[in-house]
Amino acid sequence: MKASYVIKRILLTVFIFFVVVTLCFFIPRIGVTDPASRYYPVQSAGMSDDVYEAIKEQVRIQYGLNGSTWEQYITYLGKLFSGDLGNSYQSGTPKVIDLIADRLPWTLVLSVSNLLISLVIGIIIGTMAAWKRGRWQDRALLNASTFTTALPAFFIALILSFYLGFEWEIFPAYTDQNMVPNFDWSWKAISTVAYNAALPVFAMAIGGIVSYGQSTRNSVIAVSGDEFILTAKSKGLSNNRVIYGHTLRNALLPIVTQFGMNVSGLIGGSVVIEQIFNWNGMGTLFLTANSNNDYPLMMGIMIFMSAFALVANLLTDFVYCLLDPRVTLGGR
Amino acid sequence: MKKVLMRIGCILMQILYAIGRFFKKLWKHKQGRVGLIIVGFLAILAIFAPLIAPYDPYDVTQRAAKGLLPSWEHLLGTTITTGQDIFSMLIYGTRSSLSIGLITGIVIAILGSLLGIAAGYLGGWVDTVIMRIVDVLLVIPTLPLVIVMTNVLGTSYAVIVIVFAAFGWTGLARVIRSQVMLIKNANYVKAAELAGASKWYIMWRHILPAVSNLLIMSTALTSAGIMVAEAGLSFLGLGNPEAISWGKMLADAQSSGAMLFGHWWSILAPGVGIFLSVYSFMRIGLALEEILNPRMRKGSNMIKVFKHLNNTYLDEVFASMDDDSKRRGEYQPPAANLAEVAVTDAAETKPQDPNAGPAADTTSENFEPAEKETGETA
Repeated sequence: MKASYVIKRILLTVFIFFVVVTLCFFIPRIGVTDPASRYYPVQSAGMSDDVYEAIKEQVRIQYGLNGSTWEQYITYLGKLFSGDLGNSYQSGTPKVIDLIADRLPWTLVLSVSNLLISLVIGIIIGTMAAWKRGRWQDRALLNASTFTTALPAFFIALILSFYLGFEWEIFPAYTDQNMVPNFDWSWKAISTVAYNAALPVFAMAIGGIVSYGQSTRNSVIAVSGDEFILTAKSKGLSNNRVIYGHTLRNALLPIVTQFGMNVSGLIGGSVVIEQIFNWNGMGTLFLTANSNNDYPLMMGIMIFMSAFALVANLLTDFVYCLLDPRVTLGGR
Repeated sequence: MKKVLMRIGCILMQILYAIGRFFKKLWKHKQGRVGLIIVGFLAILAIFAPLIAPYDPYDVTQRAAKGLLPSWEHLLGTTITTGQDIFSMLIYGTRSSLSIGLITGIVIAILGSLLGIAAGYLGGWVDTVIMRIVDVLLVIPTLPLVIVMTNVLGTSYAVIVIVFAAFGWTGLARVIRSQVMLIKNANYVKAAELAGASKWYIMWRHILPAVSNLLIMSTALTSAGIMVAEAGLSFLGLGNPEAISWGKMLADAQSSGAMLFGHWWSILAPGVGIFLSVYSFMRIGLALEEILNPRMRKGSNMIKVFKHLNNTYLDEVFASMDDDSKRRGEYQPPAANLAEVAVTDAAETKPQDPNAGPAADTTSENFEPAEKETGETA
């Protein structure tokens, strides 16, 4: 990896983050002259205008909406620099960053286990399908991919919660948001979380497994036509050695790209699923904020998700460069 | 004024001609025909919904008929809280899904082609600005962004279409840009440049026809994606509150306790609707891709969506590292064969060529036997 490439890439990331923050700051202010206006109390009959103005100013200060828009923007950027995303409009005005930190682990439980399960099972299934190319295993994967690409994940989740949750009562269809009040890494806490997370993770993973399976299958088939595979076979290597030692290793490069894209969508991708299963994560936090018109919280979540995606993209690019040195040469 | 109208007429004729050619090719393709038939069926349902639906789906006054089981009077029963006829709602739901999917798909095609062609052909600062906007929009999570926008601007259909279009053109613009960067080095473009043609003329008459195939294919695929997204949005209760849509039907069924009462049909019916519409559009898109790109005929079908994504992403990685605009276009992205097809097709589309129609047909017939190769074993 060349240093100039790394620096250029990091500078670009910082620039994009700055634009995202600016967007997130100005979107809620579209067409609103005074964002604090909805929090003003009603002016009672005997109240003089001076006193009412003072009360309004007090409200503006409480919600951090005092000063002109540009002053607010500068303050917002300054606060952001020290990791402060502002205060929520909820009662008690808790810090946005605290609310996010509270919910982030719950979302990560869902999405990380979803990603790992889809990756591992997908690669295994995909390699099998490529090995049995044209036989029933391959066709089954193809048909499954047809269905899962056209069916939205939330519909799969609904069907799962209907049958596994309500009809057969195997897994909870509607999770208790307070299932583990104090998570202490005990076996009981972990198993409760796993039991409650089973359905949402499964609903999300079905699509992921099939898509990883298909990418792996095609990538493996593409690589297995190469000459070094023929060489390996003609050397007399065993089938397993050829598949796992030579084919799969070279076929995994496109999977890294797909994995990177999925990592960048790790916290933003489960909004609907969390809503269906009443999961106590970032998605439900965002939807509650939306129904309360809690703009600082919504914008804080969006900025956090974007920052996460940016860092993930950056890391994916660097990992890709390490794995495939041709990329750094700029395709010349 | 007259000149402008003539120009617009020319463009419309070109587009119509291209679409007509595609329908012909699609009908010959087995998978494409399946997609076309389903889309036609859904379109008939949507257009003649008031004639087909047995009840008024907006009628929420049938208090006596709440939560009925399926019978010959109510084919799929009625909703639990309001007593609306689910079968009629299902038919009316076709309207919102298809119209939003198609209209947004077309708006995205226009936006994406304009910006993609501008970025790819003009290069320089135009390219830089457009690609940085793409970078920003790709990073922000789409669904939350759309939710915020509908919160700020309201949830009418116009807003939903505008928001989806404003944030959905990025993928198409990237694909078109990488194609244009290949096409602009083709000899016929160079010849037009040497002959003194203006940049606008070249973009309209040479580049746009060359990427029109790709454009129509992507429109089908993006429409399918938008349908899923719209269903998700209305499932969250953030779609148009007055309209009947499949996502909203699912949300109503879930919130009114259809699961507790065991009314599985009220969940399954809208799901089948979403599946059919998305599936048919995807089929059409993938069939078009196979028709346009014979090399893709080997291998399976659905993976092409992912393969497509991977290719464009990789291409972006390469391009971002190579900011020297002189060197742009030298690198051949993996989807290079698409451009070959596009270039040859563009040659056929030229109005001076009288053999345009038949020539296209013979090429598509040549592809037919390759269908059998997919079943071969390794």
